[in-house]
Amino acid sequence: MDQVLQDFIAALRNSGVRISVAENMDALHAAAFMGCADRQDLKDSLSATLAKSQYEKEIFDSCFDRFFCTESPSHPEKDSHGEPEMDTGGQDSSLTEMLLSGDNVGLSIAMRQAARQANINEIQFFTQKSLYTRRILQGMGMEAVEGDIRRLSGEGMGTSLQKAKALKDARDALMQNVRNFVEQQYPLFAGAATEEIMERYLKDMRLSNLEQRDFQRMHRIVQKMVKRLNDRHSKRKKAEKRGCFDLKRTLRANVAYQGMIIDPRWKSKKIDRADIVALCDVSRSVEDFVRFMLLFFYNLNEAVVRIRSYIFCSNLVDVTHVFEEHPVEEALVRLQRGVGLGIRFGGTDYGQALRDFKENWMDRVTNRTTVIILGDARNNFGDPEMGILRLLQERSKRIIWLNPEPPTFWGTGDSEMKRYMAYCTLSRECSTVNHLQRVVDYLLRTR
Amino acid sequence: MDGISSGFAHLVGPTQRRERILMNHLHDGKFASPEEITRGFEKAGYVCSRKIATTLYLAYHLQKPVLVEGPAGVGKTELAKITAAYVDVPLIRLQCYEGLDESKALYEWKYGKQLLYTQILKDKLNDVLKGAKGLSQSMSKLHEYDDIFFSEHFLEPRPLLKALQVAEGSVLLVDEVDKSDQEFEAFLLEILSDFQVSVPEIGTIEALCRPFVFLTSNNTREMSEALKRRCLHLFIPFPDPRLEKEILRVRVPDLAEILQMQLVAFIHQVRKLDLKKVPSVSETIDWARVMLLLNASSLNQGLIRDTLNVFVKFEDDINIVHEHLHEITAAAMKEM
Repeated sequence: MDQVLQDFIAALRNSGVRISVAENMDALHAAAFMGCADRQDLKDSLSATLAKSQYEKEIFDSCFDRFFCTESPSHPEKDSHGEPEMDTGGQDSSLTEMLLSGDNVGLSIAMRQAARQANINEIQFFTQKSLYTRRILQGMGMEAVEGDIRRLSGEGMGTSLQKAKALKDARDALMQNVRNFVEQQYPLFAGAATEEIMERYLKDMRLSNLEQRDFQRMHRIVQKMVKRLNDRHSKRKKAEKRGCFDLKRTLRANVAYQGMIIDPRWKSKKIDRADIVALCDVSRSVEDFVRFMLLFFYNLNEAVVRIRSYIFCSNLVDVTHVFEEHPVEEALVRLQRGVGLGIRFGGTDYGQALRDFKENWMDRVTNRTTVIILGDARNNFGDPEMGILRLLQERSKRIIWLNPEPPTFWGTGDSEMKRYMAYCTLSRECSTVNHLQRVVDYLLRTR
Repeated sequence: MDGISSGFAHLVGPTQRRERILMNHLHDGKFASPEEITRGFEKAGYVCSRKIATTLYLAYHLQKPVLVEGPAGVGKTELAKITAAYVDVPLIRLQCYEGLDESKALYEWKYGKQLLYTQILKDKLNDVLKGAKGLSQSMSKLHEYDDIFFSEHFLEPRPLLKALQVAEGSVLLVDEVDKSDQEFEAFLLEILSDFQVSVPEIGTIEALCRPFVFLTSNNTREMSEALKRRCLHLFIPFPDPRLEKEILRVRVPDLAEILQMQLVAFIHQVRKLDLKKVPSVSETIDWARVMLLLNASSLNQGLIRDTLNVFVKFEDDINIVHEHLHEITAAAMKEM
């Protein structure tokens, strides 16, 4: 039983559920306590000890159902016309006996034992499926069965032939069962490898190559990151609570002086949360990149700080309400298509965008605001409106410019990046999650 | 405080640890099997699913805290209350919030009392030091009295410490633990795994009897791995219609059966809508009570319209339900 549970826990770990040694032991205790007479009870108790969040519970349920699949292996209909005559001479192997008598439980146990011996939990790639199928069959003693079939067919007697045919059918069914079994086990043990690789791969992938089907996964990575940033933020916040008069600590500290207060203690509350204004270029050239950035802001918006978001192409519009009102997928599509936002998709005009911002929303920028501009600064040789950017710089705490192009391209062609750079506190290339993470770390570190 | 604790919890010095105190098995009968728990809880007015009963059963026998998660209003807090009533021990509740610290959760020194006593005892100092020659002798005389001002007489127990001091056992409910800070989580750990707390001035205080611990969380933030590791995890989702009907039957027994079915079917349709706040089980119960009060015999659209605000609490949500009223009533009817 313990061995089976260990295998199951290994499978769970592979699927991305984090299980510590302590939890492992809890699970063993729980299982020993509940016994395994009732499948549902066992499942519930393992679930309580192993899967510690809703997300993990889902994985757990699917793993449990696959690992302890109850459907008994199918067995060909037994020949209705009379039992085949036994003891026709040579000794049958144990597997042959099980096949002929239809001992499904015995077969199932033998299959699992053989699978363990074949180290099925090391299966990694789908190309290995047939290899493992063969190994398991071998481990179960398939060679002896083949021998029996040959011997029985060779004897040429009626009963022997009949028996040989029954055995052949049973053998085929068994092979099919083992194949199915390997098929079930494969995602249990190999799933994680693929998932982890995928996640690592996604983290370094160019953002513009992201596809719809990876969207959800991306979302999770960003959330993970936001969570970490959130932790850091609250820690910093906590540290700042120290420094108004703290009566309790003061009394405590001054007991030694007969209660005369000569050593006052302090604590202060000063919570300073980042206030962000984000401007996003959504022209064709940076579209996919923006999709990611907006996704990031969407998460950030929900999780950490106050953000006003604007998008621009030929003109600039406020889109904060889109983030607030719509679920993430819908919001991104709306922003990309510009549904009902009054944005014009002509040539990119940074000058016009800055003018629009100055006219309508400049008062949103205070000396505690961080302005983040996302774009390639390719202005189609229009007026860059350096003056407004300088005004922004004077009003705001800092300006951060994230450019999807590598620095070597900055200032080439119609790129105004080199000139805009002068007014930015920070200008970075940003086209992967790793880039982004560095920027956000910087954002929370510096004040 | 003195009313609850009959004596002070076991004090354990840093060097000598006492043998681990095992939870008393007074309530073994009540936790004999998950079925027994289900039955007992139903008598107390709480319908628990098989999963909940199994987890409680394990928690009692493995002596582990239970971390209960799930949407608001599915009976997470109620579970702890009913457990306390079921085993007939006091429920000690700690409501978490941002900024909760150990002086509010664990213990606090009675500073006022300490000050007062130093003032009163000042005059006694002469008597104590009588006959002592020189500073060092006075010192050693004073040392005989140890840290009298940092002893249990000056300790004000807060919920966590209180829970350890109840001799006949208790149910400790740490409510909405996700609202607390990360640091708070850290000092919960000692209680959760060893059922003891460390007070620097005194030493380690162990539980007289291990409390039954519940932590509830609405998942506003993910709890740390360390905390989760020490707990059994129970996720309570919205109940399926069958279970919810059962809950209604137990909580509002006078309600006509046809109305029970209609209410539950309707609520389940409302939960499918995209609302700011979906109606919880407690609101279903409220609604059922309202129906009882209005003497309604069956559900109709007018009645729903009039009582909508019992279970939908936002203006926007009310509008959405109004809009879809026809289709969800039709769907609810079909489901029945």
